[in-house]
Order: sequence, then structure tokens, then C-alpha cells
Amino acid sequence: MVNDRKKTELPASNYSKLNRRREAIWGYLFISPNFLIILAFTVIPVFLSLYISLTDWNILGTPNFIWIDNYKAIFSDPLAKETFFNTIYFTVLSVPINVFLTLILAVFLNQKIRGITFFRTAYYLPVISASVAVSLMFMWILANNGLLNQMLGSLGVEPIRWLTSPKIALNSVIGVTIWKGLGLNMIIFLAALQDIPQELTEAAAIDGANRIQQFFKITVPLISPVIFFVTITGVIGSFQSFDLVYNMTKGGPGHATSVIGYYIWKQAFDYMNMGYGAALAYIVFAVILILTLVQWVIRKRWVYSED
Amino acid sequence: MSNKKPNNNSFQMQVFKTISITILAFGAITMIIPFIWSVITSLKSAENIFAHSAFWIQFPPDFSAYKQIWERIPLLKYAGNTLKVASIVTIGQLITSSLAGYAFARLKFPGRDKLFFVYIATMMVPGMVLLIPNFIVMKNLGAINTHWALILASVGSAFGTFLMRQFFLTFPSELEDAAKLDGCNPFMIYWHILLPNSKPILTTLGLMAFQGIWNDFQWPLIVLNSASKRTLQLGLSYLMSEYYTDWGLLMAGSVLTLLPIILLFFAVQKYFVQSFKFTGLKG
Repeated sequence: MVNDRKKTELPASNYSKLNRRREAIWGYLFISPNFLIILAFTVIPVFLSLYISLTDWNILGTPNFIWIDNYKAIFSDPLAKETFFNTIYFTVLSVPINVFLTLILAVFLNQKIRGITFFRTAYYLPVISASVAVSLMFMWILANNGLLNQMLGSLGVEPIRWLTSPKIALNSVIGVTIWKGLGLNMIIFLAALQDIPQELTEAAAIDGANRIQQFFKITVPLISPVIFFVTITGVIGSFQSFDLVYNMTKGGPGHATSVIGYYIWKQAFDYMNMGYGAALAYIVFAVILILTLVQWVIRKRWVYSED
Repeated sequence: MSNKKPNNNSFQMQVFKTISITILAFGAITMIIPFIWSVITSLKSAENIFAHSAFWIQFPPDFSAYKQIWERIPLLKYAGNTLKVASIVTIGQLITSSLAGYAFARLKFPGRDKLFFVYIATMMVPGMVLLIPNFIVMKNLGAINTHWALILASVGSAFGTFLMRQFFLTFPSELEDAAKLDGCNPFMIYWHILLPNSKPILTTLGLMAFQGIWNDFQWPLIVLNSASKRTLQLGLSYLMSEYYTDWGLLMAGSVLTLLPIILLFFAVQKYFVQSFKFTGLKG
């Protein structure tokens, strides 16, 4: 009986086996160009980077394996400490302000008002603009005799050294970062707001809830996963900020605006301390990885709670 | 009583709308002023930039900064370099991502889901971690100081593959099944059925790739060292370090490098907005 079944099914299964094989070959063929690039420039480098971080490599000589000496050195490097502190300050200030402003702007934009296309376009412009040009524009605006000081001057305020005072420079860079990023999160929030069924807010309005109550009791809970997502990606982004710092302040004055993204570049490609730079990058990688995983887990839980 | 409530509500609405428009307008002006101020500065003669107050506008405008900049840096060469790299990366990314996305969405092969998990995992790797090892890989490939270093690193994309896969998954399979019965192989299905029907998503993805390369700064800074290889952003950054007080010239440079992307933005705004929303999927 067993034999019988085999006999009758063999040709068919042979045929489909051949078909399946063909399909698999096509599959591998189709993913291979993309996969090889990802393998060579993302997957292998992640491990290569870990190896480099355990060496004293400086491009010129041969790398010596020094175990975790680079990591130890980071903890006794005062500049690394200052940089980490700057990065945390940068993140703690820029991310909440960005999230708060973009959420408010999205709520304002999510209604029938005149000139909405103009408003949206205005907020998008900084997002699509290259960071080098943005740096230049703001270096001129924030110059000692630039637009901002002249505007304040007409109100009787003494000129402020926006980019050359160690106490103010980091705040200025944060300000420009926020200015450049508003439009992006605004759109993400706007899309989330438009997904909220109108009946919910209408029902609340009939029950006598005012705008502010509607916002805190209905809107915020419903889009809380998006708020959380935008916050985490904001933190990850701020850990990697480089372009504005490099072009506007070169980490200065002193080390006042040296953030981790800049310091890694400085160590690796200015001082050629590839091992040390890779170790710094790996610490940041670990932090980002934890944040991303936390976000995934919480996002999943949120999706479940919605069901 | 029943009359009062809607009135009250519409009054509230009016107040809310007025506040919204005021704040939105204030914000919008803050967004636009830097651009206008750059254009105004770039149209002043060098001696007038510091001589007058910031609010003074030169009329008739002086275009000499826009003439000078071509003598100071080979702007056309930089634009050509950028356009070349951005075009190759865009086309390459569209081909490799759509092919891989199709395979992950529609074809069955051993290890498919595990491989796709690797793709998702690579999207979590921050670009900063890859700078040092990729520099070394490029050095070993002999690609440092060539445009290959810019092209190779970006011509495949995990995010693009993810996006294309999600799109192909929602694509109805009836047409495909009919084509299969007619003896079409996967490539013919991809080429004749899927690609012609995915123009909007390909446009969005292409735009993201193009804009990414056009605006990229850190990677070109690391891998290119000779002046003739520079991209626009790199050229502008070096212009700043050489002529750092010549604001008219620097603003002219900023305006010129921003113009192509801004024009592209106004031409296909819909796709740009879509690309912003996709960025929201990235994390």
C-alpha cells in the first residue's frame, strides 16, 4: 500500500520538486546583488568593527591585539567624559522639544484652515535641505553681527556670541538641529492623527469635552506608540549628529560642542586612532541596540493591547 | 440651552483656529527667513554686507557673488560628480531592492525568512558604527578617493528591500498566477507585471536614495581626498573653510547647492511627503 501511494505520487512530486528548485534558484539570484552589498558593507563590518575596537590600529602600522584596553582608556579619558556629557545634554534638550513642538504643529495642521499647503511646504524645506548649506546659513545668522544679533539689537539686547561662547554654542547647535528636524516628525504625527477615527473626538465633543480635554484624553493615548517611536528615533539620531557640529563649530569653542558623533570621527579620521574610535562607536552601538529592542518590545505590546 | 451649545462650540473652534494659524504662521516664517536672508545676502556687494544693517536690501541686486563662485571652486565639476554618483546609486538601489523585495515577498526558497530577519536586523545598525570598518573595506578594495566608495556602499539597501517586499505583499496575485500558467518565469513576471505597477513606490524610493546621496556629507568627507573628486556638499564645506568671512560668496554657494533639491521638491512634492512617512517606518 505504501508502495502504491509512492508510485502514483512520484511523478507529480518530482515535477513540483523541479519547479520548487527552479523557484529557489530564481529567489537566490534575485536577492544576491542586494544581499552581497548588505553582507559586505553592513554585516561583515559590524564584526570587523568589534575586532578593530580590540586593537591599537592607526592605519599605518600593523594592528596589535590589545583586548579591552581601548574601552578602559575611554573611561579615563576626560574628553570622552565631556563628550558623553555633551551628547546627553544635546539629547535631553533637543528630543523633548522636538517631540513637543512637532506634536502641537501636527494638531494645528490637522484641521481645515486656509494656507495649509503653504504651512506644510514651509516646514518641509529645512528637512530636504543639505546640512552643509544649513550650517552656512546659520553661521551667518548667528554671527556676531548677523541677523539674530541685529534683530535683538533693535530691541536693545547686547550682541550674544551664539557660536563662540562655550556656554551658549551647544545650545545654538541644538536650536539649529531642532529647526531642521521639525517638518519630519510633524508629518509622522500628522499621519497618525489622521488615522484617529473622527467619531471618537466628535463623541467627546458632544459629551462636552473641550479641545484640551479631547487632546489629553483621546489624542495622546491613541498616538502614544507614535510619540514613543519618534522619541526613540530622535535619541538614536541625536547620538549620531555630526554634520552641523563639524561645519558650524568643529566641536568648539574648546570642546563645548564636541558630541559623540563628532568625537568618533575626530579620533578615527583626524587622529587616525581607528581602534579607539571603533571602541567609542561600539559603546554607542550597544546603547542604541538596547533602545531599539526596548522600542520593539513595547511597540509589540501596544499592538496587542489595541486588539 | 440646546441652541447655546453648538454656538459655544463654534466659538471655541474659532478661537482654536485663530491660535493655530497664528502659531503656524510664526513657525513658518521662522522656517523660511533663513532661506530668504541667504538669498538677500548673496545679492549684496561684498562691501555692503557689513556696511549696512541686516535689514537693508540692495537694489538693484548685485550678482557678482554668483559670478565669482565659479572661479573660486569648480562648481560644475562638483555638480557633475554628485549627479553621477546619485544617479548610479538611485538606479542601482531601485533594481537591487525591487528584485530582492520581490523574491522575499513572492518566491519560496530555503532560508528565506531567516535571511529576511537578517535584513531587518541590519536596519538597526547605526551608520556611525559602519564608518570605520567600511573605510577599511574600501581601502582594501582600492576604492578610497574614488566614487566607487560612495556608490558601492549605497547601491544595495535593506530598507529599500523591506519597503518593496511590503508593497509586493499587498499586490494581488491573480495576474501573476495567470502569467505563471502562460509559462512566464519569475523574471518575466517581475519585469512585465510587477515593475510597471509599482511606479509610485519606485519613485518615492528613488527620491529617497537620490536626496540621500545629494545631501550626504560625512561619508564623502571620509573617503574622498582629492579636490577633483569632491561632491557638492564637500565642495561647499571646503569653500567655507577657505573663504569663511565672505558671506556673499558662501550664501551664493548655499543657494546654488540647495536649488536643485528644492526645485525637485516642488516638482514632485507628493512623493517627498510619502518619503517622510516612510522614514517613520525605518526604526
